[in-house]
Amino acid sequence: MRLVLAALWMVLGLGCVRATAQSSFTLDGDLDVRWGHTSGETSFLNGGYGLLRFDPEHDGLVLGRAFLAPTWRITDIVSLHAVIDTYGDHNRNPVDLSECYLDIKPFPSSALRWRAKLGAFYMPISLENRGPGWTDVYSITPSAVNSWIGEEFRTIGAEFEIRWLGASSGYLGDLALVGAVYGWNEPAGSLLAEQGFTLSDRSSTLFGYLSSPPIGFYHEVDRNPGYYAGVSWHHHDRLEIRALHYDNRADPYAQTLSGFYAWHTQFNSAGARFEPGEHWTFIAQALDGSTSTAADEPDEPLFLMRYRAAFALASFEWNKERVTARYDEFHTHQLTDYYGGEAPGNQDGHAWTLAFTYEPSEHWQLLTEWVRARSSFPPRVELDESIIQTQSQFQLAVRYRFDLGS
Amino acid sequence: MSPIFQQSATRNPPRARIGMRAGAIATWITLSCFCAAPYCVASNLSIEVFDRNGHSVDQAMVELVPASGSPAPVPKPAVMDQKDKAFTPEVLAVSVGSSVDFPNNDSVSHQVYSFSAAKRFQLPLYKGQLHPPVIFDTPGLVVLGCNIHDSMVGYIYVTAAPFFGTTDAHGVLALKDLPKGDYRITLLSPYITDDASSLTRSVHIEADSTTERFQLKLPLRTRPEPRPRRRDWDY
Repeated sequence: MRLVLAALWMVLGLGCVRATAQSSFTLDGDLDVRWGHTSGETSFLNGGYGLLRFDPEHDGLVLGRAFLAPTWRITDIVSLHAVIDTYGDHNRNPVDLSECYLDIKPFPSSALRWRAKLGAFYMPISLENRGPGWTDVYSITPSAVNSWIGEEFRTIGAEFEIRWLGASSGYLGDLALVGAVYGWNEPAGSLLAEQGFTLSDRSSTLFGYLSSPPIGFYHEVDRNPGYYAGVSWHHHDRLEIRALHYDNRADPYAQTLSGFYAWHTQFNSAGARFEPGEHWTFIAQALDGSTSTAADEPDEPLFLMRYRAAFALASFEWNKERVTARYDEFHTHQLTDYYGGEAPGNQDGHAWTLAFTYEPSEHWQLLTEWVRARSSFPPRVELDESIIQTQSQFQLAVRYRFDLGS
Repeated sequence: MSPIFQQSATRNPPRARIGMRAGAIATWITLSCFCAAPYCVASNLSIEVFDRNGHSVDQAMVELVPASGSPAPVPKPAVMDQKDKAFTPEVLAVSVGSSVDFPNNDSVSHQVYSFSAAKRFQLPLYKGQLHPPVIFDTPGLVVLGCNIHDSMVGYIYVTAAPFFGTTDAHGVLALKDLPKGDYRITLLSPYITDDASSLTRSVHIEADSTTERFQLKLPLRTRPEPRPRRRDWDY
């Protein structure tokens, strides 16, 4: 039923926009339908400690994702972007926004070009998620690092970038510095403390909930603005390096009357994407940080957890096909207090992902992916499960993609 | 890439509707002017450019300046097209004072700009042929970009030389009906990394047909801009 409703919604949206599409208004979108087969424990989305999006009780034929991404060019240098999502699961809102922002990008009058974003958008950290709607172009499921970014983070505020256009000035590439000030994201870190890292393409939406019990990530709790600062370097058309320092500067003792806690989350991330020729892509990214929040009792020390995750990816593209292999490793370690239970939520895990994509035409894409994740997570004893679990998930996806009025 | 060079009147036969008498007068004037110049016989010059592995180098701009002084360059309209999120041709050579059209025959809109000293301009968001041609009135290299698609970079060489062009897919530029004499040949390309002094030379063109070969010693530079992708978003 959800599939049918989503398809109807998509067709309706297409019909409305096709009539009004013009150069100042564009519309991108995907409809992703999947068949999956999963083994192992119940997914974190359905009340278990499983790392994967699906589980044996929730696989088969499902809606992977459907989104519409309208862009309205208000003036030559100002445009409004939005991504409207539905995942067909038990999100609070069947249809929700995952991004909505103004993009201000003046013409460069010198080799320095500035750009500003205002609204709600993803931070510039992932080297995998470069497709419309932040889709991973190398596999269905992003790495543990970027699964977490999609689940818990959205910049709700202002981002400013200044880019030195070296490629247009006779130099080896472009250099960009980026910084942002934001709020409404203090719960970021709570899912990681609760579940550890996951491997899931089910990103959060701005007004929805994720996980079970449900968590909403986009609330202002302490009125302290957070920030991030980053740098990126494009070296010729071969190499892109990104580094980012993130700190939401949350007051770990703050909480709202409605029960949302502030988590002081900070991390450093660095990654590189290397494309030596037409066929090969190599990506590596690592993230290291900590999160803390107040304990239940006032006289107890702060709950403090450190975490780190990394992945390496190799992808080979030829004609209409692409094959990708990725290795993920991820760890969380609670330094003080236990959160949410008697066993420490210390996670140690790794995962292998193999993906194959085929694009028979401009609008159609077929994807197949196999993920195997093995992890140790003591809170599983609360569910009478073994601490060490191995899960695997096979997915077959058919995607219809379109762009109108561009 | 077809060569672009200043054309003598002998390459433009009088149109049929001009009467026989007027045509004869025009021809006489043309020939008189031509023979008054220090060059009396035309020659064909072929310039070949090869990289260090012997592969042909296309889209290299070649300009020829006569040692005895250049006649004033003659502006000629040119076109820098946009298709598949790329400038076509990637390298365009025009005479100083020329107007260049920037039609957008792509499926997406573009915002073309340049902040090069030789020409600063902006063409706000458009598709098709919305904007009037841009006049390039200062010699030098003009680097083009698109403010929406950073992977789009194009090059326009604006030259005051009377004879010029860009090499084709075989690495060859053929200049026909070139007056015999001494010239300074200069090779220009955004991708050639050889020392500039090795890319310019003096030649004496005497024979009816001459070939000049540029053999590069250093590897070509890869594209400095990001690789274009059809559905890449700016995340």
